[in-house]
Amino acid sequence: MVQVSDKVKVEVEKKDAFLGIDIGSVSCKFVLMDTNGKVLTSVFLRNEGSPIDSAKVGMAELRNNIEDNPELKAYAIRCCGTTGSARYLTKAVVGGDLAKTEIIAHAVATQSMYPDVRTILEIGGQDSKIIILRDGIIVDFAMNSVCAAGTGSFLDHQARRLGIPIEEFGSYAVKSKNRASIAGRCTVFAESDMIHKQNAGYSKEDIIAGLCDSLVRNYLNNLSKGKDLDEPVVFQGGVSYNKGIVQAFERHLGCKVLVPKYNVLMGALGMAILVRDYYQEHEQETTFRGLKVADIEFETKAFNCGDCPNNCEIITCSLVEKDEVIARWGSRCGKWSEIL
Amino acid sequence: MLISFPNMGPNWVAFKTLFTALDLDVVLPDPTNREAVKIGVKYSPEFVCFPFKATIGDFKNALDKGADVLVMAIDCGPCRFGFYASVQERILRDMGYKDFVMIPLDQADLLEFHWVKTLQQVTGRSDPFIYSKFVKAVIFFVKKAKLLNDIQTAEGLYRAYERNQGDTTRVVKKLLLKLDETNTLKGLRNFKKVIKEDFTKIDVDKTRNPLKVAVSGEIHISLEPYVNLDIRRKLGEMQVEIHQNLSLWDWVVHKFHLNYHRKWLEHLAKPYVPMDIGGECIWVLGEYIDRARAGFDGMAHIYPFTCMPEVTARTIITNKLKKVYDLPVIFFSFDEAMAFEGFRTRLEAFVDLMYSRREHKLAHKRDYLKQDLDDIYHEYGSNFYKECFQMIQNQ
Repeated sequence: MVQVSDKVKVEVEKKDAFLGIDIGSVSCKFVLMDTNGKVLTSVFLRNEGSPIDSAKVGMAELRNNIEDNPELKAYAIRCCGTTGSARYLTKAVVGGDLAKTEIIAHAVATQSMYPDVRTILEIGGQDSKIIILRDGIIVDFAMNSVCAAGTGSFLDHQARRLGIPIEEFGSYAVKSKNRASIAGRCTVFAESDMIHKQNAGYSKEDIIAGLCDSLVRNYLNNLSKGKDLDEPVVFQGGVSYNKGIVQAFERHLGCKVLVPKYNVLMGALGMAILVRDYYQEHEQETTFRGLKVADIEFETKAFNCGDCPNNCEIITCSLVEKDEVIARWGSRCGKWSEIL
Repeated sequence: MLISFPNMGPNWVAFKTLFTALDLDVVLPDPTNREAVKIGVKYSPEFVCFPFKATIGDFKNALDKGADVLVMAIDCGPCRFGFYASVQERILRDMGYKDFVMIPLDQADLLEFHWVKTLQQVTGRSDPFIYSKFVKAVIFFVKKAKLLNDIQTAEGLYRAYERNQGDTTRVVKKLLLKLDETNTLKGLRNFKKVIKEDFTKIDVDKTRNPLKVAVSGEIHISLEPYVNLDIRRKLGEMQVEIHQNLSLWDWVVHKFHLNYHRKWLEHLAKPYVPMDIGGECIWVLGEYIDRARAGFDGMAHIYPFTCMPEVTARTIITNKLKKVYDLPVIFFSFDEAMAFEGFRTRLEAFVDLMYSRREHKLAHKRDYLKQDLDDIYHEYGSNFYKECFQMIQNQ
């Protein structure tokens, strides 16, 4: 039987480490960082069904990483923060101390590497965002609202359709001499346009380069609406691995686009930095459940309240061992109090 | 004969009194919920704006509950709202409901008194003896609309200061029921006192200095909490003061040509949009300028997906006004999709952004000095914002 403790024993003799978790729509990222901001170890996984499963698998992998590396055993996790679209659920599951939005986390991480950054472009699996900073302060941001045309999932889908592994997508685009023009307004238009171009005999390279170009156009149209995109521009998120997109951005913005070393881990890294500051300010005991989260059973349930015509859908998450509700939301009238 | 009308947030109280004062029976549709939206989406044209779909669901619900007279506002305005009633009537008949009458309530210009015809149709009488009752019904309607506006004002302020989350929501719920039961002129005259008494019972933390955010946008979306994912409550629970002028009262007074605040907003927006192009476009622009000058921290603009006038307003704000007035603004277009997590992410990030601006004094000229506070709380109408603020400070 696994013992479930809410508080982790404070191991005074060990060095401080901070854990940032970013569970997004497609992948989850874990970053373990020391006090100086050095990344000790990281985990990058595709999502496994639900955020809870992803958190557990990620924790198990992180534990393996730590056990394999004798250096890391000298560290103890002092504080843990979560971000990404599933941040509240993940916070409840792992016992995080802090949950913040991706926008803040990304901005903090990027500023730690490029202190004078003025524009951050981020394209992930389902979300794309743009963050404008001036003198180190976020002054504006935008996230895609109704359209997923400019995001990684679409590229992934098209790569599969063209029979190219997504990792090589960028290098195909770079090889193109003569870009095909692809409609970027909407994924449906883009796809039928691509099929037409394929059937008309364009080479794969040209089609892919055209697709990258149209994706960037769509992104800029959808998000940057009237914003001034000044240098230095930093581009991150999973799609920034794609050299074709980076080139397209440089072409459209007319300036150099920087891709940071930990381009996909930025959210998690930012969260680790945020909890480090939080820990240094508050110096309180963490509520982190420890790496053994991987072995704890959680159960989520959704039910319709049905007591009034609102008929809210209430979602609860509970610890199976203790039969204790750790998270609940969805109530509109306040009958079921929210637990976050 | 059972009368019904669609939901628009708490305004059922005012519409109900309009008909009960004429001794008619009223049946209310259930509060807008998933079921109603599902039905609306199923039977409406795909590309129509969201309020159309939500109200179709309300109508079906009311008809199932036995209503046989439906009242729907119409307008000969420049956007498609004007055709809601006639299209909805056809859709409902195609759905198999045959025995009902759809009575349009013309609100294009209330001073033309087309609404008298609606009242005549509803009561089935047009003799001179009924007119005294019409007058009574309209007085009750207008009074209750005004009181609803006051409740909305106080709610927006108090939620940012409440110590126990949920107190304000409970008080508002109780007040609505109380207002619904108050059906004498004397009771209505004293109701403002009741509002103040009930709100002063809330335990407030007056040391807080919450962010001040204006909420503006299309009227149905702004007032119906199910449709807008309860943005007012969500922001309030993040300790943000909500300032919203838009209400049924505001609209009715505007349609009687007595709303000087809206005239002022039109004047401010004139260089960008010279005329009313439908929706709330011109007033949203005016409000943006007005709020920026008054020293607000931000504004939320909410509208239905595909709403032409509001999209126009949005583009003018991002491309022109934002560069001049530099007031942070967030846009939400609502549709049947209830992606609550994404919505919360954007709201939280917006609140963080406003806090960091305030911290770094980026909100230049926005230090809250005494006289500035007077400006902020000087709102159109009854100065009720200011009164509520003083109530909080005196507790």
